[in-house]
Amino acid sequence: MILANGSLYSSEQQGTLLADLERRINETRRSRKLPVGTVIQALDQMAVKLEQGCFDALIPEPELRDSVNFAAGLLHSNALLRRLRNELPALPPQQGRLQIRREPLGTLLHIAAGNMDALPAFSVIEGLLTGNINLLKLPQADKGLTVRFFQELLQIEPALTDYIYVFDTPSSDVSGMQQLAACSDGIIVWGGDAAVSAVRQLASPGCKLIEWGHRLGFCYISGWTDMDAALSDLAVHIITTRQLLCSSCQVIYLDTDNPADIMAFCEHFLPVLEQAAANVAADIGADAERTLRRYTAKLERILSGDTPQEQRVLQGKGCSVTACTDRALELSEMFGNVLVKPLPRTDLLSVLRESKGYLQTAGLICPAEQREALTDLLIRSGVNRIMTPGGMSGTFPCEAHDGEYPLQRYTRIVNILQ
Amino acid sequence: MGARETLFAKRNPFATAETEDLFRKAMQENCRYHDAHCPEYHSILKDSGFSPDDLQTPSDLAKLPPLPTALFKRHHLTSMPAWRIPVKATSSGTKGHFSKVGLEFSALWNGLWMVLRMAHYRRLLSLRPVNYVILGYQPHKGNDMAVMKTAFGSTFFAPALHRCYALRYENGSYTADLEHVLECLQRFVKSGHPVRFMGFPSYTYFLLQLMENRSVRLQLPPGSRIMLGGGWKQFYREQVDKPALYALIRRVLGVEEEHVIEFFGAVEHPILYCDCPAHHFHVPVYSRVLIRDVRTLEPVPNGTPGLVNLMTPMIKATPLTSVMTDDLGILHDGSECPCGLRSPYLEIIGRVGLKEIRTCAAGAADILKGVSP
Repeated sequence: MILANGSLYSSEQQGTLLADLERRINETRRSRKLPVGTVIQALDQMAVKLEQGCFDALIPEPELRDSVNFAAGLLHSNALLRRLRNELPALPPQQGRLQIRREPLGTLLHIAAGNMDALPAFSVIEGLLTGNINLLKLPQADKGLTVRFFQELLQIEPALTDYIYVFDTPSSDVSGMQQLAACSDGIIVWGGDAAVSAVRQLASPGCKLIEWGHRLGFCYISGWTDMDAALSDLAVHIITTRQLLCSSCQVIYLDTDNPADIMAFCEHFLPVLEQAAANVAADIGADAERTLRRYTAKLERILSGDTPQEQRVLQGKGCSVTACTDRALELSEMFGNVLVKPLPRTDLLSVLRESKGYLQTAGLICPAEQREALTDLLIRSGVNRIMTPGGMSGTFPCEAHDGEYPLQRYTRIVNILQ
Repeated sequence: MGARETLFAKRNPFATAETEDLFRKAMQENCRYHDAHCPEYHSILKDSGFSPDDLQTPSDLAKLPPLPTALFKRHHLTSMPAWRIPVKATSSGTKGHFSKVGLEFSALWNGLWMVLRMAHYRRLLSLRPVNYVILGYQPHKGNDMAVMKTAFGSTFFAPALHRCYALRYENGSYTADLEHVLECLQRFVKSGHPVRFMGFPSYTYFLLQLMENRSVRLQLPPGSRIMLGGGWKQFYREQVDKPALYALIRRVLGVEEEHVIEFFGAVEHPILYCDCPAHHFHVPVYSRVLIRDVRTLEPVPNGTPGLVNLMTPMIKATPLTSVMTDDLGILHDGSECPCGLRSPYLEIIGRVGLKEIRTCAAGAADILKGVSP
């Protein structure tokens, strides 16, 4: 399903629509600007509709209702205005004859990932707020929610019609993707390494790339003996996010070089994790998949002659803690299966630098008097979010995304000499 | 004569209780052979601290390290030079990877006996000529898929007048043509000779649905049989429960449930499992099934779901002695089945894995989709 010019088209009509796209975009850009007030007003009305449950038929899972209300909260005019104030602060006033102005980047192509239902719509909303024309390539997993959302939005505010185009082009349609990219001043890509690499191939050298890639979260612990409340928060975080988020804790690093400390921590933490996992229903398919993967990996190591990583898995009920000897920041087996590794603070920076493309969130557990110094060290290592263990995956107003304010990336600063 | 030959010469293919020690002995011989001839197998046994000599009692079979089917997809494991392997088979490669498995002459010879015994059990051997409808691949020499070979092989249980294929090989590729099958079928019914169906349950279901939607009702001649095999593959979502399929077969083709026979097998475990009249897959003497705990891989008692570990001493060309599938299953006591066979029966309940997982943790999606190890 394609949404263009305010109407729905079947996927087969993509060729015809793409052939005319550049002309239509140019016509819009030549003749008018999108006032931010129009966007805010429309989104505010949309928030009300969301809260009234007009999308509930498309979101059958009752457990997602909270997320819908949360999303609606982000669309209310006061939230949007605050965001604009924070992310796009006032520019310096006119300097002599030089005027300084913020303008939209122009045309944005959003390549959204399927890992969150609302993500494609939110990416486009950020593009609208900054006055851009938005081309959205839907993820394959999209079940029609996004198109439905924009149809509703266009009904509220028809003036947005020429600023929203939604295509269901599959990533394998290289020619279609190239045509979309050719119309764009910036490409925003959400997704893993493969998606990001594919977009780098797609974009011409002059096109601005805005990459929101996948990340690996971890927790750094220095001294844990009196930290039971913090450890319990960490355990709840690991279980509730199922370690599937960018910000989820995959590895727990201990500020030590002593394998005995690692083992002692694992033994202490396992029952804490088990308690957090107690209410999670067992998934036999997931358990079997993980067991089979571990077993196959073990045999693969035998065949390749690699020396196996020296590690010990402490298996709990519905979760596990693995005591490792290496220091790599890596993906865990997820679903409550966390890795524990030694990392003395003197080596913290050099080890994290090896994962520089993947850093985002660090949970930090340490005595209060060391917090500032360790926070500083994590920042210098490239980490962008230093959180309490319970807040690792929390969302907060005015928060940056991977070290940046997205709205700034979707705009450009224009200078005019008078 | 080796233990394997004695085992495959057994008259009663379901005498599992009486052949426990013979099976163990055949497995020991087979394990010893692969240990000596397949370097990869040897290193896996060695690293696991297992020696073929450890197989002293039937319960020791659980200690033999099973090879996951994924290993055969990434490595070409063989215990014989290629010239000694006349038959090479590949799996259908549901995820784009497929296993390559070889069968040597002696395995084929034993396999032939196995197939004849199983076919005899379900009264499929006949001298009366029949017409075959193959809801699967038409053979051609570039296709090594085991499902195709099994389907083609099954057309020798009774002499073939004609063979008609749903997946026809034309101009270098396969195309599905159910219309063509329907035409042939109508001609076959007029001829009065029994008709035998063989093929994927999914295609059988699609064809029958097509017929029902068009209100085509046929009465296949007496002696007709519907044989199903090859699994549901990519049509998992269309999977209907078996009673619904049997009812559809009765309505559209006029064939009673007792004449519907389902086969089960895997490239990595080429033992012919054939359902009993109550449609249960009882374990034949040529094979043993161990269900393993999904977390610890320890064997679980009958009636408990787990990972399906299949064992057979049939093949010397490829180390298929003990393989771990990515199926989840339950082994039931034979006494639970009304058909009278005492051998336990295997029920496949699904596949390992997760449904609809969304993630933004780096590298996680590939792992969850099974793209990377």
